[in-house]
Amino acid sequence: MRDRVDEVSRRRFLLTAGVAAATVYGCRLSFAADVDPLLAGRQLVRYPEKTDLILLTARPPQLETPLSYFDRAITPNDAFFVRYHIFPIPTSVDLDQWRLEVKGHVDKPLSLSMDDLKRFPPASVTAVVQCSGNSRGRFAPRVLGGQWGDGAMGNAVWTGARLQDVLKAAGARASALDVTFDGLDKPAFPSVPDFVKALDLQRIMSDPDVIVAYEMNGQRLPMLNGFPARLVVPGWYATYWVKNLSEITVLTDRFEKFWMKPGYRIPDTPCGCVEPGTAPKNTVPITRMTVRSFIASPASGTRVAVNQPVALKGIAFDGGYGIREVQVSDNLGLTWSRATLGPDHGRYSFREWSATWRPTGAGNARLMVRAVNGIGESQGYEPLWNPAGYLRNVIEQIALVVD
Amino acid sequence: MRLLTAAVALTLVVTSAGVAGETVSITLPPESIALDAGRGMDQTQTSCRMCHSLDYITTQPGGGTAQWQGVVTKMMKVYGAPISDQDAKLIEEYLATHYGPR
Ligand code: HEC
Repeated sequence: MRDRVDEVSRRRFLLTAGVAAATVYGCRLSFAADVDPLLAGRQLVRYPEKTDLILLTARPPQLETPLSYFDRAITPNDAFFVRYHIFPIPTSVDLDQWRLEVKGHVDKPLSLSMDDLKRFPPASVTAVVQCSGNSRGRFAPRVLGGQWGDGAMGNAVWTGARLQDVLKAAGARASALDVTFDGLDKPAFPSVPDFVKALDLQRIMSDPDVIVAYEMNGQRLPMLNGFPARLVVPGWYATYWVKNLSEITVLTDRFEKFWMKPGYRIPDTPCGCVEPGTAPKNTVPITRMTVRSFIASPASGTRVAVNQPVALKGIAFDGGYGIREVQVSDNLGLTWSRATLGPDHGRYSFREWSATWRPTGAGNARLMVRAVNGIGESQGYEPLWNPAGYLRNVIEQIALVVD
Repeated sequence: MRLLTAAVALTLVVTSAGVAGETVSITLPPESIALDAGRGMDQTQTSCRMCHSLDYITTQPGGGTAQWQGVVTKMMKVYGAPISDQDAKLIEEYLATHYGPR
């Protein structure tokens, strides 16, 4: 598959990567991009209900999933990443006490217990949740904020009540505009804005996949992933997936408090990007995820043998159109070959992929992966940039040493 | 990667059968970040640990005075960090010296 559309951008990428187009494979390439002082050698920690994860911050906890977990479609609950904004976070929840309040511009305010929530017809969706700033640590020029590698994402089967059903039961009035979501995390300092997010009521009422989830991969949610219930907004970034959910408020106007504005906004340009190092003129809230794909196995830096087949595995996903195709390249994008897709768990899910690669010469090799979604969107050779470090979806690569 | 063996405390108290009556409690492992010693460290430790752990500082890309002035100003203006102008200046200098461009 020769790709002419991308050829100009590919050549520019080769130049910036310091690699001549002819010296493709079986030769010495610069590995500078793989040796990142900020992302290499980060500490592993074990938090309650979690396995060893990469520590970003302790209070509030921000924990990253190691890349090795992305060789499969479903991310285990104990390996699932953790991201909170404010401290303290809830560390104890008594289900006898916990209630989900539904209030505001409604005919019948509700105070739902877990049993009440479970009386709504259960709905399940397999969906990726990815932090807006996933891979922020790879931005150049660098930007401040959580220095995530690529593991601020995960995919799970979420089960709960449809938000539509909950809002209908409360009699949300048609004249309402926004609905806000608040969790049990409350800042100790009153001057720190509480983490509250908003969704448009019409968007909720037209999307049966938005749910208030009380189960994650068939288990109750881990505390750090939102026990006892969290919002699930398939296709949209994690910032909307409010954890430890306690309050839903229906509003007659638009909600533009801190974490909606100025927080979590992207440049109002078609790519959501600006010239690196510059500020956008106008911004809009971040919403739908861009197309991404990763090689999770083998790990970058692995030694492999000449002429021996190497099994490549990974996942691809997008913001809800589903993955149509995954391609890999061993010659810096000169040619691409199609990977085999795994089972389809729905358009919001990680799509597992696999491919076999046979190295034909010794030396350092680079393998790249890219995905195409259901409406033909794909990934570029050059990273897009914005000041908050959001929306990264450049073609990812790993380096292998062939002996 | 080094493995930090933190005490894991997870209590799951099931006071009655089923979902109702379940209390889930966790205990967060202690935070264990130490800042580099130097002039301004005390002020930085006191002022910058009120709302979050100090790894918010140590995990950021290193930067000069301009970067850290921006950060300290943001903490004060946007999040209401109660820091005197005198301490703010000391903290900015400390951060630029010890957490400068890497
Ligand atoms: C009044 C509370 C408060 C105090 C005091 C405070 N911070 Fe923050 N800080 C925050 C909040 C809230 C965030 C944003 C957290 C998020 O987005 O997840 C933050 C984020 C950060 C970040 C990440 C970059 C960013 O802009 O989000 C850095 C770096 C930081 N703080 C450094 C400091 C330093 C240095 C001090 C001491 C001068 C300090 N903080 C004191 C509340 C505070």
